[in-house]
Amino acid sequence: MPRDMTATGAQALQRSRGEAFAALKARNGRPVVAGLRQAGSAKAMLPRTGGPCEVVFLNTSGGLAGGDRLSYTLDVGAGLSVTATTQTAERAYRAPEGVAQVSVRHRVGAGSRLDWIPQETILFDNAAVQRETVIELADDAECLSLETVVLGRAAMGETVGRIHLRDTRRILRGGKPLHDERLLLTDDTLTAGAAALGGARAFSTLVLAAPAAQHRLCALRAVLDEPGTDAAASAMDGRLVLRILARDGWPLRRQLARALAHLRRDPLPRVWQI
Amino acid sequence: MTDRLSLIQWLSPAFPTGGFAYSHGLEWAIDAGQIRDAAALTDWLTTILRHGAGWQDAVLLCHALDPSADLDALTDLAAALQPSSERLQETLDQGTALAQAVSALRDTPLKPRPLPIALGEAARGLALPPEEIAAHYLHAFASNLVSGAVRFVPLGQNAGQRALHALHPVIADVAARATGVTLDDLGTAALWADMAAMRHETMQVRIFRT
Repeated sequence: MPRDMTATGAQALQRSRGEAFAALKARNGRPVVAGLRQAGSAKAMLPRTGGPCEVVFLNTSGGLAGGDRLSYTLDVGAGLSVTATTQTAERAYRAPEGVAQVSVRHRVGAGSRLDWIPQETILFDNAAVQRETVIELADDAECLSLETVVLGRAAMGETVGRIHLRDTRRILRGGKPLHDERLLLTDDTLTAGAAALGGARAFSTLVLAAPAAQHRLCALRAVLDEPGTDAAASAMDGRLVLRILARDGWPLRRQLARALAHLRRDPLPRVWQI
Repeated sequence: MTDRLSLIQWLSPAFPTGGFAYSHGLEWAIDAGQIRDAAALTDWLTTILRHGAGWQDAVLLCHALDPSADLDALTDLAAALQPSSERLQETLDQGTALAQAVSALRDTPLKPRPLPIALGEAARGLALPPEEIAAHYLHAFASNLVSGAVRFVPLGQNAGQRALHALHPVIADVAARATGVTLDDLGTAALWADMAAMRHETMQVRIFRT
């Protein structure tokens, strides 16, 4: 049944284009909108005055299919602390006619912090997605950057045997690469054994890029014990990397929420609903 | 012939690169019971070669061999690609030691760089095809990990050598594909190999540095 739903979903989708850009700057210590462009299926919902500074990106096309193009861009000016996320999980359907392309490009100004914590990307059988996330940090800026991938919905009996995901994430500080991650999931890698996914069908990588990131490692490791997940963390100069693997998305989300609570001052965005 | 002998010398376990001290997370995987026999070792190393640091290093090495490549930019990229502290240490320490040891054989000093970049810079003057240099590099990498596993699983010497022999087609294939691709073709999926390297950091008793 789920496979049929997936097929129907894909047929119902037209190739979509979406582009959302938002820029925030500080005025009297508060964020104000300095720019906004929205085209096609992409929207950016901006923070309300007085609330936590959250930007929520949304793809109104109902999911990614072959040939789709989606782009999210956020420009955070100097002296701000901003959380950006997505309204819902992104779904990538079977892609008989090419690859869906997603581009995320954020800039973080001097003294600012951006938490880019999108909700998960759910890939269905035969999905083909190419995503590139680039976060450019000013010399003393910080960011928290998350990607979560779920292969089918295990609870609904869905399995994924064919996949193409090229998920690149680059974090640059002062123009130099600080963290560079190039996940390439193909049919081969799904069955590549214990050193690849093992039995995991959901996984997250969370990166904190901050001068003092190493100091968070010990305390973070202490919360990596959520049942149904395997997690490990490491820290290098100016960056901390956490990886979580699980058989499906729910235990992963619980572990992720605990880790995020540890690495953030603000509560999770309301749209996360955890 | 002397160029080939130079390459064999630099990648031999006798060269003071210190590879024997690094297990690339294998020590954790063995301790955790993920690798109990030669078949599991071959499986684990095949994934690392095809979908992990093997492929990544081979591509970086082939780029570093190009005389027009920006070695400082490749050095920054190679460091940023490391998923954990010990993996960064593994590539930087060995690359630094290799650069020093090759420098001692020549008039021109080589800068400390991550291992595949250091070897690429050292081997630029050798009249050997990049595919062959990459294959030797991957063979040295796999051979070192097999030696570690023989001691630590433990496996018989013959079982270890059979495992390494079984990896020859994988090594040849990865080396052949790594030549002529762009940096956009970098891509890994060895998530558990990365986890193993991270978890190695918190092991109570460790023989290897990584």
